[in-house]
Amino acid sequence: MSLKFCWRTTSLLATATALLISTTAPKAHADIPDENYRPILEHLLGTVMPPKLDELNGATSNLADGLKDFCSDPDADGLLEVQGDFHSAMDIWQEIQPWRMGPLVANGRDQHIEYWPDKHGTATRQFRKLMFNKPAAFTDPKQLSDASAALQGFPALEEVLFDDKHSDQLIAADEDGVFLCQYGSAIATNLVRLTGEVRDEWPAFADAMRNAGPDSMDYATAKFAATDLYRALHEGLLIISSQKLGRPIGTDAKDASASRGESETSKRSLRNISHNLIGLFAIYDGKWGDVGQEGKGLSALIDSSLLDRSFRLNWQTVQDQLDTLPPSITELLDQPDGYQKLVDLAGQIDLLTSLVENDVGGNTNLGGGFNALDGD
Amino acid sequence: MRHQRREFLKLMGVGGAFTLLPLDIARAATTLSIEDRAVYISASAGDHDDYYVSAFNASGKILFERPLPGRGHDIGLRPNHVDVAAVERRPGLYGLILDRHTGDVRAKLHCPENRRFYGHAVYSNDGRLLYITENDFDHARGVVSVWDAVDGYRRIAEFNSFGTGPHELHLMPGGEQLVIANGGLHTHPDQDGRTPLNLSSMEPNLSIIDRKTGKLIHQAALKHDWHQLSIRHLDVASNGTIAAGFQYQGALTDQVPLVGIWQPGQDIRPMEAPDTVQHRMVQYCGSVRFDASGTVFGISCPRGGLITFWDAKTNNFLTHIAAPDGCGLAATNRTGEFVGTSGLGTGWRMDAIRRKRIELPDSSLKSLHWDNHLRRIEA
Repeated sequence: MSLKFCWRTTSLLATATALLISTTAPKAHADIPDENYRPILEHLLGTVMPPKLDELNGATSNLADGLKDFCSDPDADGLLEVQGDFHSAMDIWQEIQPWRMGPLVANGRDQHIEYWPDKHGTATRQFRKLMFNKPAAFTDPKQLSDASAALQGFPALEEVLFDDKHSDQLIAADEDGVFLCQYGSAIATNLVRLTGEVRDEWPAFADAMRNAGPDSMDYATAKFAATDLYRALHEGLLIISSQKLGRPIGTDAKDASASRGESETSKRSLRNISHNLIGLFAIYDGKWGDVGQEGKGLSALIDSSLLDRSFRLNWQTVQDQLDTLPPSITELLDQPDGYQKLVDLAGQIDLLTSLVENDVGGNTNLGGGFNALDGD
Repeated sequence: MRHQRREFLKLMGVGGAFTLLPLDIARAATTLSIEDRAVYISASAGDHDDYYVSAFNASGKILFERPLPGRGHDIGLRPNHVDVAAVERRPGLYGLILDRHTGDVRAKLHCPENRRFYGHAVYSNDGRLLYITENDFDHARGVVSVWDAVDGYRRIAEFNSFGTGPHELHLMPGGEQLVIANGGLHTHPDQDGRTPLNLSSMEPNLSIIDRKTGKLIHQAALKHDWHQLSIRHLDVASNGTIAAGFQYQGALTDQVPLVGIWQPGQDIRPMEAPDTVQHRMVQYCGSVRFDASGTVFGISCPRGGLITFWDAKTNNFLTHIAAPDGCGLAATNRTGEFVGTSGLGTGWRMDAIRRKRIELPDSSLKSLHWDNHLRRIEA
């Protein structure tokens, strides 16, 4: 997509949305009965998420099994296969990652699964030390689970599997390679445990949300419980813009650095965002791949089909734009107009954020209250 | 909401501010408990940029509402006197001294041109002096102004707050020192007066000054890694323990404490809730309030719709109670009990020990958006 076209599309969509907001504003803040929020909670938390958590756990199990096989007889093809398993697990994790709530954040799980952003370079520092000492404890999944979060999740495994030097060592099966393989296996097994815990704890959390009411000290109303879903949608976009794109973009083209992006060692920082958007859109739409049903997410509360269509169109435009880009920021920045494309993408994500705030937040009455939006 | 309020006022047969109404006649005939006689007072808002200071009783019945020229924030209570001070939130220009029973205006405070009020005020224990946090915006410096309540609220002095962006302030036990939460955020009225201009270099702190000389007595800051934790609100227990709530200016995913306990002379001790609660605090604390015993304090988190409760003896998280858009928080006379208010119009009585929440029954409360802070007056 040419830059000019991209800007024009964004501009047109923004204008169309502004018009829609102005024409539908009176309906936007009509009271919605609390009971209307309950089917959405039921659908998203009870129907949509559980199979996705199964999928994540299955993908990490597959990764762990693959690593075990690879380590028994390492070679280049085997490494490629395991890298493929890593990508599959990472794809579904990136879809689930923005649903930052309940069991996903309990006990720091989201950080243990993926410690990122690592602002102080903790992982690199600790990894270097690890390779120097090669402590046996790090090859034991149980002991690894007590280690620093920076050394026990996807980024650490990415370092093992995708760093060129480590790849060579893995295949050579020298002393470092053997340790890396055992350590990588321990990480994968630890991920199976972590994702299994999330899956197992989810139903009780979903019940607490679905049973929102005056007697619940956790969720006073169904609307209030649904606010957590809206917040996940909103914050998910903010995190993409400010961290996943904002950090590599830096202050200008000279300051840009792909290495500040997520998963750049496995060259999938933009692929991550694409999968984030799939998980986020499920909150709005109610359908996530083969799971769920269209129109049963937050969109069920939008009583303007025009607004709904506009939102979907805008979202699809960003997804389409992402599909035209390479999977990593490194590759994008290698293109002559790569930096501008990256900036444009951030602009499009920001547009989605504003649509979520105005259209979704306003029409679902989930956009925050007097103090939440403008406190001091 | 405005419509509801008008209907309510019509029912009462009054408009604008009105006198403190007697409690229900049947209840008045019996001996009222201390809590039944309590009056709660707070800044509030209608639906159309209309702002008030409003009072309600223990059941949530609105007693008066006094229109304000702009959005208020906290209310300062003059001990043993009818005066209460409502200072405009940052960047504020006005302060009104109101009669706590009627809402009538008793005096007006005007902020100097080169200063802006920051929403919080506190009286000396003898009720003679009123202290207000202000922004000396041209010098990115916080100040505490001193106003003589017995001399027509004349501005008589100004002290350094020893930080940027001072916000809430309280008297320390004994009444001779003031503790100030310097939020660390520099703002300037030329740039809307609210947008932070120094996120990368902010240095929040807690400072204690002598209220008569302005001399710095104690100061503490968080470690540099947490310099974007704006220390905004605080409360002081009778034993001098200070509880503080932070507002994080960094990334949503950063893992930072949002609550701290400070014993002057020591470091600020950061406190964290379990991950699932910490996450729902959304990097933002609103009000801080100790209970009547000084052993429990509550911290509201309006962005997450939670009130969190903390054990001041063990410095541990105690529990949390859902409170959509809840922010205002006042302690009742019972251990572990608080009344909270919401920007959505709701009010609750909350028991932090037994983890219970009961909505205040009178529907008149719902006619307003209740602002950041709530004060309780024992009648």
